[in-house]
Amino acid sequence: MDGSVAVVGVGHAGFSPGVAGVSYKELMHEAARRAYADAGVDPRRDVDSFVCVSEDLEEGTSIFDGYVPDQLGAVRRPVQTLAADGLHAVATAVMLIRSGLARVVVVEGHRKASDVRTLGRVERFALDPIWNRPLEVPVAALAGLDMLRYLERSGEPEERCALVAARHRRAALENPRAAYAADLTPEEVLEAPPLSWPLRSLEAALPADGAVVLVLAAAERAADLTDRPVWVAGVGWANGASSLETRDWGRATAVARAAAMAYRQAGIEDPPAAVDVAEVDDAYAHRALLHLEALGLAPEGQAGAMLEAGRFDRDGASRVNPSGGALGEGHLGEGAGLARLSACVAQLRGEAGRAQVPGARVAVAQSWRGFPSDSAAVAVLRAGEGVAG
Amino acid sequence: MSRPVAVVGAGMTRFVRRALETGKELSWEAARAALGSCGLTLADVDAVCLGSAPDAFDGVHRKGEYLAEGCGAYGKPFIRSFVGGGTGVFAAIQGWYTVASGLADVVLVVAEEKMSSCQPHPQGAFLTIFDNVLERPLGPNLLWIFALEMHRYMAAHGIEKRDVALVAVKNKRNAADHPAAQLGRADLTVDDVLASEVLAWPVQRLDVSPVSDGAVAVVMASEEAARRLTDRPVWVQGVGWNLDTAYWTNRDLVFPEYVADAARMAYAMAGLTEPRRQIHVVEPYDPFDYKELHHLEGLLLFERGKAPEAARDGVLDRDGDLPSCPSGGLLGVGNPIAAAGLMKVAELFWQLRGEAGARQVPGNPERGVAQAWGDLMQVGTVVVMGTEPPGGGGTAPAPPGRSPAGAVLGAGLRTPPLVTPGRGLSDEAFRTDPFAVDDELGTAYAWDAGVAVGGFLRGLEEGRVLGRACPSCDRVLVPPRMFCERCFRPTTRWVELPGTGVVQTFSICHVSWDMRPLEEPEIPAVIALDGSDGGLLHKLGGVRPEDVRIGMAVEPVWKPPAERSGSVLDVVHFRPRGEA
Repeated sequence: MDGSVAVVGVGHAGFSPGVAGVSYKELMHEAARRAYADAGVDPRRDVDSFVCVSEDLEEGTSIFDGYVPDQLGAVRRPVQTLAADGLHAVATAVMLIRSGLARVVVVEGHRKASDVRTLGRVERFALDPIWNRPLEVPVAALAGLDMLRYLERSGEPEERCALVAARHRRAALENPRAAYAADLTPEEVLEAPPLSWPLRSLEAALPADGAVVLVLAAAERAADLTDRPVWVAGVGWANGASSLETRDWGRATAVARAAAMAYRQAGIEDPPAAVDVAEVDDAYAHRALLHLEALGLAPEGQAGAMLEAGRFDRDGASRVNPSGGALGEGHLGEGAGLARLSACVAQLRGEAGRAQVPGARVAVAQSWRGFPSDSAAVAVLRAGEGVAG
Repeated sequence: MSRPVAVVGAGMTRFVRRALETGKELSWEAARAALGSCGLTLADVDAVCLGSAPDAFDGVHRKGEYLAEGCGAYGKPFIRSFVGGGTGVFAAIQGWYTVASGLADVVLVVAEEKMSSCQPHPQGAFLTIFDNVLERPLGPNLLWIFALEMHRYMAAHGIEKRDVALVAVKNKRNAADHPAAQLGRADLTVDDVLASEVLAWPVQRLDVSPVSDGAVAVVMASEEAARRLTDRPVWVQGVGWNLDTAYWTNRDLVFPEYVADAARMAYAMAGLTEPRRQIHVVEPYDPFDYKELHHLEGLLLFERGKAPEAARDGVLDRDGDLPSCPSGGLLGVGNPIAAAGLMKVAELFWQLRGEAGARQVPGNPERGVAQAWGDLMQVGTVVVMGTEPPGGGGTAPAPPGRSPAGAVLGAGLRTPPLVTPGRGLSDEAFRTDPFAVDDELGTAYAWDAGVAVGGFLRGLEEGRVLGRACPSCDRVLVPPRMFCERCFRPTTRWVELPGTGVVQTFSICHVSWDMRPLEEPEIPAVIALDGSDGGLLHKLGGVRPEDVRIGMAVEPVWKPPAERSGSVLDVVHFRPRGEA
């Protein structure tokens, strides 16, 4: 089908609190080789364009985009870097293919969090230099502000956020690549020390070292490369307010806008009926609930109750972040959305092992870039055998 | 497949040193001017694209998110791209595919840079562009790489400094006619350039573009929207971009292959077979004067080494056969990195519509090319624009309704389009301004050198220079890597090299990274190591600067074993072979 794009290869490396002795280049290289083997492509011959995501200060390198081509097999090719989440890169790959500029595109995201000794200083620099920084408010405090507003507006008890944290870390026990899997109960989450009340330490995802590489292909190439393509049926992205002063605390309007764009392309009018699996951003436990609502998978203020009532379970499997999410796997920074998307691909290929949701055909991957920014991206994926849309 | 895409509006702020506006305000000014130029409001915009180069300039982490609302991105699809200095032209490519893909009909493309926030000098933002493990310990500054490349280019082709200086004179003269320019000067001479302070030989003060703040925006639209918005859309006929290896010391800097690759991609899309004849106006990237010549060759508009001749013969002048940087370029208009690149796209928009006023090139230009460049001499970004929709090829007849050359048809560039002051401050005024807010990044990193470079550093500690062998390409790689970027196969074994080599290019640098004069000049050099494929960045010592030559044989001077620490600094410097 003209303009259809499929994921035809996925590769990971790392997913650990610290991958010692390996440089970020070697981490990226390992993920890339696995993705190319999965897709059966030679990057020097078969790939038309490369899209990476990174942020300079997190990398500790100014103009970091220059350091990506060698380890991806992308030297002397059209390579670009986005200061965005990996799902924005997936959107870009779709645009490159739909505009006729490329037939096979590689997307890469990574984090070498263990290289950064002063993550708090980096995060502080994302705040407005004039208004916000002099207050020395850490990002965790912003998450606390957001969480309280959410709890107050939705009437959700704190226990429901603790439930999310416990579920995701427990789900991660089934995920061999998860860095922060734990057999936790909601009660234990509530007993954890507060980061910034009402946010507790076990309700915030921790950084991990890791890399994810995807290979995407236009329909005609996808047919050559794989007999089990996963179609990108829709992709949307949107920004919210970039200043703290004007944002809608305790809401996820940017996610809702991105979702509307993606669902429109995918022809989905009734998300709860259409979507089998969702991998949502869970950088903070309460945001996972907020994101389920913004994705239209739960009525406003109902996500926690639905989760507790088992409405997101199917035959014993969780249909929300069966991978364990960022709370369980560790947060991959700009690569976070690609981790969510690759978990969806595993579900739609039937490769999710004990976390497999039976009969999963349609999945939604969602990212949100985290405080203090407010930008989001959503991809709707559909299992298929050469038929898209 | 691909839909035709046109530029339908453009606007920019003045380029100044130390703008009073924040980055958000600069972005907003440019966006507002661009939207106003084609009668649109933000409500008409489907998506926003931002180009901005290193975060260290503005001093904001995730600065795209910070700038987003100044760019009009609230509630809209928004992505910031960055490919170093190539970003400004790439932003237009991003706008192109956002529309061409069918995901948006009207896209606002913004490019912003506020370099002057970075203290004490914006070169500080470039300190961390060098390799974290192998180059930063040497204390390199950005001038080094330009000087090394310029020297190599001049030496390989026997180019005279006078001919290179002509570019600075031309661009500053052209900029005198640009209402937004920072450094327009009609009376500059080649002798002035040659007499200016030597920063890092052969780079002198007037060879270099200034530190600037500013923003530029263009509006790009689908064919249907473009025809509704204007009777003179300027079409994007071709786009191309390309990124070369990060191991820049392994490349011969004499020719920008990556620019040529990007140009070929764009020309093929535009159906151009004879670019020199089919392109009527060119805006190559000119952060340094030699770069314009280097890039004109990379754009396949002149034979290698022949662009200086064109400068001498007046071919590149505004009334020459191939006007180059009629805007005044980065050397004259100014160099707020990403904004300067998009300024070139805006200039083609005005030139091809006949709206460039005093800057208008004669002869009804119908097709132009804008190009930018960046990273560690690695990125080429190219956009071909024309008065005819894409799909054509040869030189098309002038469309009906075009006006004679030089006439100002529409508003063109109105400057200052400003609500905020739009003027700069001197360094001193800025630093004493009570409203300037001081801040310090204060981050720290601990790099995993990795398997390959880690092994290299252990070798240095033992007084050995090690490379990795790629049997398929028959190369020995220094700096070593576990994989070969050309064939993408693993490297297979360590190879010990003699450590001797040959000077491939060098510079004599008289200033520190924050532009303070050095008491003793430093001699950075790229040394092609014997037995390896390519070179290594280091410094020369034990030799008078005037005695250094390209091609000179050199050897490492090691620290005493007890003082080595597994660092590139275990080699004190390289010195001429067989001497003291």
